Amino acid sequence: MEFEKVISGKNIEKDYKSFKLNVPELNIPKGFATALIGENGAGKTTLLNILAGIRTDYKGELTYFGKYSDKDRESNPVVKEMIGYTGTDNYYLPHWTVEGVEELTSLLFDNFDKALFRKNYEDLAISADGSFEGGKKVSELSDGTKIKLVLASVLARDTDLLIMDEPASPLDPLMRDKLNDLIRTYLTEKEGRSVFFSTHNILDMESVTDYAIIMEHGEVVETGFVEDLKEKYILVKGELADIEKAKDILYTVSTNKYGFEGICLAENLDKLAGMDVTTETATLFQISVAIMKKNTRVK
Amino acid sequence: MRISQTSGVPIYQQIADFFRSEIMSGKYKNGEYLPSIRELAKDLKISVITTMKAYEQLETEGYVTAVQGKGFYVNAQDSDMLKEQHLRKVEDALTEAIKYADIAGMTERELKETLSTLLNMKGL
Repeated sequence: MEFEKVISGKNIEKDYKSFKLNVPELNIPKGFATALIGENGAGKTTLLNILAGIRTDYKGELTYFGKYSDKDRESNPVVKEMIGYTGTDNYYLPHWTVEGVEELTSLLFDNFDKALFRKNYEDLAISADGSFEGGKKVSELSDGTKIKLVLASVLARDTDLLIMDEPASPLDPLMRDKLNDLIRTYLTEKEGRSVFFSTHNILDMESVTDYAIIMEHGEVVETGFVEDLKEKYILVKGELADIEKAKDILYTVSTNKYGFEGICLAENLDKLAGMDVTTETATLFQISVAIMKKNTRVK
Repeated sequence: MRISQTSGVPIYQQIADFFRSEIMSGKYKNGEYLPSIRELAKDLKISVITTMKAYEQLETEGYVTAVQGKGFYVNAQDSDMLKEQHLRKVEDALTEAIKYADIAGMTERELKETLSTLLNMKGL
């Protein structure tokens, strides 16, 4: 499927002692929510940090919004204003107050809307009773609340692209649901907005994910719109009697005492003819696990 | 509209089915726009790509037309033509059924009885 790109990359490389990030081609669709999926150490954060400009020691070519380079991202205020970023680390200093965060963000970004920040603060219930506690220190906030504060401030800016590193991880189930709503609202409020986030909470983020990029060992192993992936990877369940034949056909398979379950590439479904199997639409979680299993070095 | 995550029917299909019957029943008039893809995704708490796929299916079936940057509007539903189309599908399916009944050596009566039984089960 052809699509407009919010970020595209060519030959992105980063060498560590025992790890190499190598992404010959990367395309993130404009107007959608894209999830970067992979096991710990797959290179998600490295790639995300390169795209967000947190890390600048890499090789390769990056294009933003179809016309800006990574140099523009660093030096052109127009591009800076268009991108919002949230990380896993709390990048506010412990002794900063909520009001200090507000002041600093409005100094850094012209498009920061103070009134909207206060509204987000209230909506996300950052203080227990909903009132604005400007004097509260960052060090007094719990991890989840710190992330809420980061969200409140990034969503108070009128950006075109949100880049989020593991936004769901420190959040409780209720806040994860809220995060999904926030992402959908962000995409709805202005034409052409895009979200790019990394996650290993695939289940929690599935209902907001339009496009998936799956990584293993520093390489991208699969990409696609979720609905297309669901047509490519099919969930198959069958009887124990057929396991030996099915094993060679299926993409991944696991067995128990009563039967087997696995993922079959749609193109190979025909080969299961004659076996007593049922097919189902796989979830993004099941597809991701299958692809990760296929490529992992974890035994 | 109720969306079930566990019914086995893909979510995009459930959405397409819903709007198809809304259009057929005249709840969406000729030229009227369906809810925007992103609004609908937000309301149903599903991904944008899923609603998009539902609308694309309705477009393929000729129920709606996409306008760049504006959304999907409902096409004039020529009820005679649609009925004709559906009639042809029924004939095709029954012809197929007759073929298999023949292979299975069913009598005409048995075939008719099967149809009656199935109709009863559907509550039609």
